[in-house]
Amino acid sequence: MEEKYSSNVLSGGQLGMVEVPDSRLTRYIVLLVISKVLKALGIFESYDILKVVHIVQFIFILKLGSAVFLLFFQKPFSSGKAISKRQWIKLLKHAVFSCVISLLGFFGLTLCGPLRTLLLFEHSDVVVIALLGTRGAAFFIIAVICLLLFDNDDLMAKMAEHPEGHHDSALTHFLYTVISFLGVADHKGGVVLLVASLCLKVGFHTASRKLSVEIGGAKRLYALDNLVSALVLLPWVIVLSATTESKVESWSSLVLPFGMIIFSVMILEFYVEAICSAKMETPRCARYGALALFFSALLLANFWTHPLTDQLRSMSKPAHYGSTEHVLSGGVLVSAIFFIMSSNILSSPSKKGQKGTLVGYSPEGTPLYNFMGDALQHTSQSLPRFIKDSLKQILEEYDSRQIFYFLCLNLAFTFVELFYGVWTNSLGLISDGFHMLFDCSALVLGLFAALMTRWKATRIFSYGYGRVEILSGFINGLFLMVIAFFVFVESVTRLLDPPNINTDMLTPVSVGGLLVNLVGICAFSHAHSHGGKSCSSHDHGHSHHGHSHSEHSHGGHGHSHGGHGHSHGGHGHGGHGHSHGSGGMNANMRGVFLHVLADTLGSVGVIISTILIRQFGWLIADPICSLFIATLIFLSVIPLLKDACEVLLLRTPPEHEKDLNNALEKIEKIEGVLSYRDPHFWRHSANMIAGTIHLQVMSDVVEQRIIQQVTAILKEAGVNNLSVQVEKEAYFQHMSGLSTGFHEVLAMTQQMESMKYLNDGTCIM
Amino acid sequence: MLPLSIKDDEYKPTKYNLLLKLSGWFRSILADKTSRNLFFFLCLNLSFAFVELTYGIWSNSLGLISDSFHMFFDCTALLAGLAASVISRWRSNDSFSYGYVRAEVLAGFVNGLFLIFTAFFIFSEGVERALEPPDVHHERLLPVSVAGLLVNLVGIFAFQHGGHGHSHGEGDHGHSHSLFNGSTSHGHSHGGHHHHDKHADSHSHGGHHHHDKHADWHSHGGHEEPHYNDELQHLPGKGSSKQILQGVLLHIIADTLGSVGVIISALLMQKYDLMIADPICSMLIAILIGVSVVPLLKESIGILMQRTPFSLDHALPECYQRVQQLQGVYNLQEPHFWTLCTDVYIGTLKLLVAPDADTRWILSQTHHIFTQAGVRQLYVQIDTAAM
Repeated sequence: MEEKYSSNVLSGGQLGMVEVPDSRLTRYIVLLVISKVLKALGIFESYDILKVVHIVQFIFILKLGSAVFLLFFQKPFSSGKAISKRQWIKLLKHAVFSCVISLLGFFGLTLCGPLRTLLLFEHSDVVVIALLGTRGAAFFIIAVICLLLFDNDDLMAKMAEHPEGHHDSALTHFLYTVISFLGVADHKGGVVLLVASLCLKVGFHTASRKLSVEIGGAKRLYALDNLVSALVLLPWVIVLSATTESKVESWSSLVLPFGMIIFSVMILEFYVEAICSAKMETPRCARYGALALFFSALLLANFWTHPLTDQLRSMSKPAHYGSTEHVLSGGVLVSAIFFIMSSNILSSPSKKGQKGTLVGYSPEGTPLYNFMGDALQHTSQSLPRFIKDSLKQILEEYDSRQIFYFLCLNLAFTFVELFYGVWTNSLGLISDGFHMLFDCSALVLGLFAALMTRWKATRIFSYGYGRVEILSGFINGLFLMVIAFFVFVESVTRLLDPPNINTDMLTPVSVGGLLVNLVGICAFSHAHSHGGKSCSSHDHGHSHHGHSHSEHSHGGHGHSHGGHGHSHGGHGHGGHGHSHGSGGMNANMRGVFLHVLADTLGSVGVIISTILIRQFGWLIADPICSLFIATLIFLSVIPLLKDACEVLLLRTPPEHEKDLNNALEKIEKIEGVLSYRDPHFWRHSANMIAGTIHLQVMSDVVEQRIIQQVTAILKEAGVNNLSVQVEKEAYFQHMSGLSTGFHEVLAMTQQMESMKYLNDGTCIM
Repeated sequence: MLPLSIKDDEYKPTKYNLLLKLSGWFRSILADKTSRNLFFFLCLNLSFAFVELTYGIWSNSLGLISDSFHMFFDCTALLAGLAASVISRWRSNDSFSYGYVRAEVLAGFVNGLFLIFTAFFIFSEGVERALEPPDVHHERLLPVSVAGLLVNLVGIFAFQHGGHGHSHGEGDHGHSHSLFNGSTSHGHSHGGHHHHDKHADSHSHGGHHHHDKHADWHSHGGHEEPHYNDELQHLPGKGSSKQILQGVLLHIIADTLGSVGVIISALLMQKYDLMIADPICSMLIAILIGVSVVPLLKESIGILMQRTPFSLDHALPECYQRVQQLQGVYNLQEPHFWTLCTDVYIGTLKLLVAPDADTRWILSQTHHIFTQAGVRQLYVQIDTAAM
């Protein structure tokens, strides 16, 4: 009998990807590393050139050069299928975008220097996409923050006060003014710019994938794209060269460096990356590439200004720029280390491959997984569509709609407050605005929970996500507790030492807040009292409608049927509605409601205390008010917390306890049932009560019948997710053979023996 | 029937008076090592907070008073841990049919949440201060934070000890696994045996036969029985040492980090007048706390939401497949597996079987398969397929 399952197909086989041995990949890795080093060199070179050549001209020359080269190699016109007019238009858009991105990228390069650009801008798409949900993201963000805050590149500060006449074109001038408007140093502006353009680049790459399939291969697209963008830039360059005088002494001396940059940055890197990502997995390719790039950038940054390299360099550097070279500060080093770590973590082969959802089994017995999981769907979905879908989902149901509207209102109020605060430079308003934002987080949580509860059950979360609602209610309750505690503490300290509050600003703001919150209370209390009712009446309405319709159309025959169903449905739904009404079981809405209530109380308290202080000069009124409010919040939260705790601790639902006990008694009276053990019933979510029970039956009854009876009885008591295990005596013998829970089994068998004797006795009598 | 009513009387919590109850709690706190540690540390913390508070009120220093309240807030985390470790040992009753073991997961979750709140508050304050550095008078800051650091260091050492216990627990866990494996081989060897039993079963129910069987089981169970008992007793203790301890330890570490940060920034401010050091320190600490809490939160949310246990993620498909390969099993429906508390997994599934299949055999084999994977309680509903 063991052979039936001992043919273990999976025992040795891992479900992950097949690992290609490293030795075969070595040459690709070497190739990749070389190309990355060359690229780093090229970027450094181009930084030097950009000091002389205008950025638009520079990009034009790059695009043109690579386009010529690629036309020669790729032959996009003579090979492949013809390109339609619509595709040309798409190509044009594509080219414009790529122009913009390279403009931004190279502009960032002029601002923060080659090392920082390499660190920030040259992340592959895989890494950035992986950023969205993993731990390495923290490192990445820390690294960016390091660059922003701790990198005291003081030479850059000098460049911040750039003379106005320095810019040669409207574009650079515009970018400069934007950055100076933001009030940061050039180099920090460059960092922000680079991060933004990195995000743009990744989005652009993802979007262009479809186009590249349409056009016929990424390489062809790249060639055409370069050509078109060169054409796009052509008029600009002509205008530029006509209007401004060039700073370049001789173009001929620039030919070599340009050729080198074109070759290393534009062409070699593209081809090598394409080859490597075809031969290896993309994450690994990204990892080695990033490592090579970062290390070579660090080395180059160290030695670029070295006199030795000066001799090797093809272009003689203008002397007066020597002083404003970028320094290798500690902040850059730290952030480089963080970047290396983050790209290492982010591009490490994830275990995602094993997380596919189990679809079923093939005829041979190997499990089949569905890898079209969340990740793929999320990336393939366009952002506007995603927003539209989720909005639709939000608006579909009463709860989430209510929360959403209130959230919008709250956010609007907050932003008005913040803007006004920034405008009038009042710190009180700003801090109040942030407090409001903090409150909004509770609403966002509630909204998210209301959305999530409707997600379908997955392999991992086999009961569905209904519990999110309770968890969110619990978290909101805890949140409020903490807030109440802090308010309490602060009011105690104020009670001891009442501070002087200036009350001029407080009243209008708190009145505004009060109004907003009152709207919220109206909405939610409506939802609260109705919510239970409307939900159940909804169900009722639906079921009733269906029934009455069938009654009408089917006539006499349908009538009895309908009546039967009616009584049944009525019963079940009655219990359902009851639970809704009595528990007010939607913990999520309760939490949100309490939060809004607490806010309202806070506003009321502020108003009252302001009036008291103004009229009578009682400074003590404020702390007493807040003490009172804190206690009120505390008391109002306790029931919510208690209920949520009970659900989370898997308590038998209190409102069903009696029904369940009756049901268990009934089960014992079913013919053939000897006894039951381990009856567990617990509420999973607002409308799902799960239960499990073991039944011991006599050996001569039909199990299926008993299961059906028990299921029916318990369903009537409100349990709608039940599993019944029916055990006959032989089962215990099996189990004893398998030796699980020996003592239990022994006890049970003894119990069964006595039962049997008793039963036998009755039979005989 | 009879057993139910007896059980009712036995497990219903009888009414003690308050003193008895308190002493009972006290005893149960002192009985377990984890909760004893927690309790002592709580006492230490509380006394420190009280000293700080009285001194603050006496010397009328607002900073000390607010710091002492912060200490009280910290104590709530400890209190939650302590309460959970006591509650999780309560016995199951009618309403809480699984017992209170989940309290520990809840406590870990609450602790994690509190930490996140704290981190958030610290972070926002740090941002505020970074924008507008206030002049902190640091002469009083140093002694208090050093004292707090000392207290927290004591706590860390105490719970590191607990951590040892934790690692012990892990070892035990491994042991129990090997026990399961051992029992597996037993089961295999019993394959023939149960045939024999069935054969005997078809005979008349002779009393002597049953006796015989009992003896047989005893002889077999002899060396397994202590193991099993051992494991059962270990269950709550081990559980309480994991999630609660993780939460509490994180909390204490966060506090310690906070003290260290305050000390460092106070030193920096005193020596070099770097006013920016304070907000940057606090922001870094907040980030650190936030990052370190995330795994705990993730795990406890997973448990509370009845997620399929992480450790079973890979074992389950194999088990499903093995069950489906059993003779007569058509299909496997609605498999639910979830974690009750640390290392206790519960599963329910429904099997659709052929009308002529031997359901008892299938049932026991299914139990066997999933027990091997580590599922403690299994409910298998066998539905016979309609022809």
